[in-house]
Amino acid sequence: MTGGSLRLRLLAGAGVAIALALLVAWFAMTWLFDGHVERRVEDELLVQVRPLLADLQLARGVPVAGSEPADPRFAVPAGGLYWQASTGAGAIRSVSLWDSHLPAAASAPADRWRIRRAAGPFGQHLLLMERAIRLQPQEPPVIVQLGYDLAKLAPAQREFGREMALFLVLLWAVLALAAWAQVGLGLRPLRRVGQEVERLRRDASARLGGTYPRELAPLIESIDALADAREADLVRARRRAADLAHGLKTPLAALAAQSARAREGGAAAMADGLDSSIAAMRAAIDGELARTRISLVSEGRSTVALPLIERLIAVIEQTGAGERVAFSLACDESATLPLASDDAAELLGPLLENAARHARRLVHVAVETVGDQRMLIVGDDGPGLDSAQRDEAILRGARLDSGGEGHGLGLAIARELAEASRGDLALARSPLGGLEVRVGWTLSA
Amino acid sequence: MRALVVEDDPVVASELVRGLAAAGFVVDLAGDGQQAWFNGDVEDYDVAIVDLGLPRLDGLSVIKRWRDAGRGFPVLILSARGDWTDKVAGIEAGADDYMAKPWAMEELVARVRGLLRRAAGRSSPTLEVGPLRIDTHRMTATLDGAFVKLSPLEYRLLDYLAHHAGRAVPATELSDHLYGDGDAENANAIEALVARLRRKLGADTIQTRRGFGYILPATAA
Repeated sequence: MTGGSLRLRLLAGAGVAIALALLVAWFAMTWLFDGHVERRVEDELLVQVRPLLADLQLARGVPVAGSEPADPRFAVPAGGLYWQASTGAGAIRSVSLWDSHLPAAASAPADRWRIRRAAGPFGQHLLLMERAIRLQPQEPPVIVQLGYDLAKLAPAQREFGREMALFLVLLWAVLALAAWAQVGLGLRPLRRVGQEVERLRRDASARLGGTYPRELAPLIESIDALADAREADLVRARRRAADLAHGLKTPLAALAAQSARAREGGAAAMADGLDSSIAAMRAAIDGELARTRISLVSEGRSTVALPLIERLIAVIEQTGAGERVAFSLACDESATLPLASDDAAELLGPLLENAARHARRLVHVAVETVGDQRMLIVGDDGPGLDSAQRDEAILRGARLDSGGEGHGLGLAIARELAEASRGDLALARSPLGGLEVRVGWTLSA
Repeated sequence: MRALVVEDDPVVASELVRGLAAAGFVVDLAGDGQQAWFNGDVEDYDVAIVDLGLPRLDGLSVIKRWRDAGRGFPVLILSARGDWTDKVAGIEAGADDYMAKPWAMEELVARVRGLLRRAAGRSSPTLEVGPLRIDTHRMTATLDGAFVKLSPLEYRLLDYLAHHAGRAVPATELSDHLYGDGDAENANAIEALVARLRRKLGADTIQTRRGFGYILPATAA
């Protein structure tokens, strides 16, 4: 099951929300713009008709205009600007009305201009301003009407709407970009958590720790607690597996003893069968122990090489093979191997033991850094292996499952430990004449 | 030859006793750590074979207590635990060899004999050259009173130089003594041994006389 992309979800949400907000803004702004333009028109009309109102008179109840508005549109038929003054007895109107008239108004307020929209002459839709003006107290009121063809405003309104839409689309793009950056910034700690969890998957002893945003702290604590529980389980499982394997070895030794007695008693065939089974069980136990160890190799550990090598050599020098060879060391006191001490001992031990077994006089051990590689080199002056034999040795010890007893298993353990710690193991010809085992790790920057 | 077998598993113990007895040893058996510590402390054994996982007192603690009490007989650890970390811990506790179970009796007897051979045959107990004191019985050395752990080869080289203190010993002579031949190809091995001894004893302890050989000064180190 997949929950989709959180980033995509956040970005889509932000994109839609911003678009909706900008759409509402577009409607609001065009509405405000229309209102503003119409108010400007109203103001302009009032200015235009001021001379008319100033010289308006009644002659036998019919309005008479002393002077007319100067705007030429009042003089052009269907020009878009209209005025009309009317009483019950008659009316006068602008030339632009030609033989039409503005929609009749039975009454109009005397204290203010009434504004409305109405269908006018020539099929035009008009903005109408109306007011009743009483010229003399004893005279009837004159209803003055001013008309403006709203179609004249449409181009400006359309242009404003278009430009505003373009601007808002650009604004949407900028805001969407900002949202994308914001989401990226917000999700960055989660990506870091993801990388750290990946490290934790590879290394049971790793923890997230570090500095994370306050909001992620509960998650980090939960993951670390889970990692603690997992590591404890692994350690417990490792201990149980090791205890089980070691526990089996003593009965196996007892079985071997009984096999020896059977052989002495003349039951050689039975003893051979027992010995074969014991050898298989021993290989299986040793393999299982090694696998348990390899499965728990921790990253990010390191061990100072020299003291460990010295201690391992001290063990090997006690053996028959080790007591007859000399060990030469080329290793800085501060040089490290990228493994935990126990793992490094299990890797180095078999290599040193192997070298001592095959050396004539000398085993050379070196830890050196070449470029970004940390190299562990164990060579001997024994008979060595030719190229085909080296390939065969690598193949024979390639996997724990197929490695038998002896150094096949030791080499397999060393190789798998190297690989588990992100290193690699190779066989070469030693300058001393014998076999050289080279284990290399790439050092992280 | 008296041997002490320290093993709690009765079948394994009886097999060890039987195998060692067949090889000519007089064998005592201790079934737990306390008993083993007591036996090793009061009896004179030529060699002990010790299991590590013992009831009452673990094998490493038994060996440490023997060594702390000055009991110097060779000890071979025979344990189900075969990790290198365990081997290192065993040797550092004072054991002389380590074998993992299950074992082959022939190999065990051979290694016990090897231990006995190393520990035996030293008439002169100590040899002193300047601040260096060599215990030829235990095949150990101390420098200004501090114990220095030596491999058998290192010991033999130092022992030879100490017996010829003040004389430059050619590498071929050392090779002849250590390996039974004066093969010039052994020069690298001799040089590596000297380098390791210098690391353990101090850079000036063994000096090189170019064209003559290695010298352990008779009075100073």
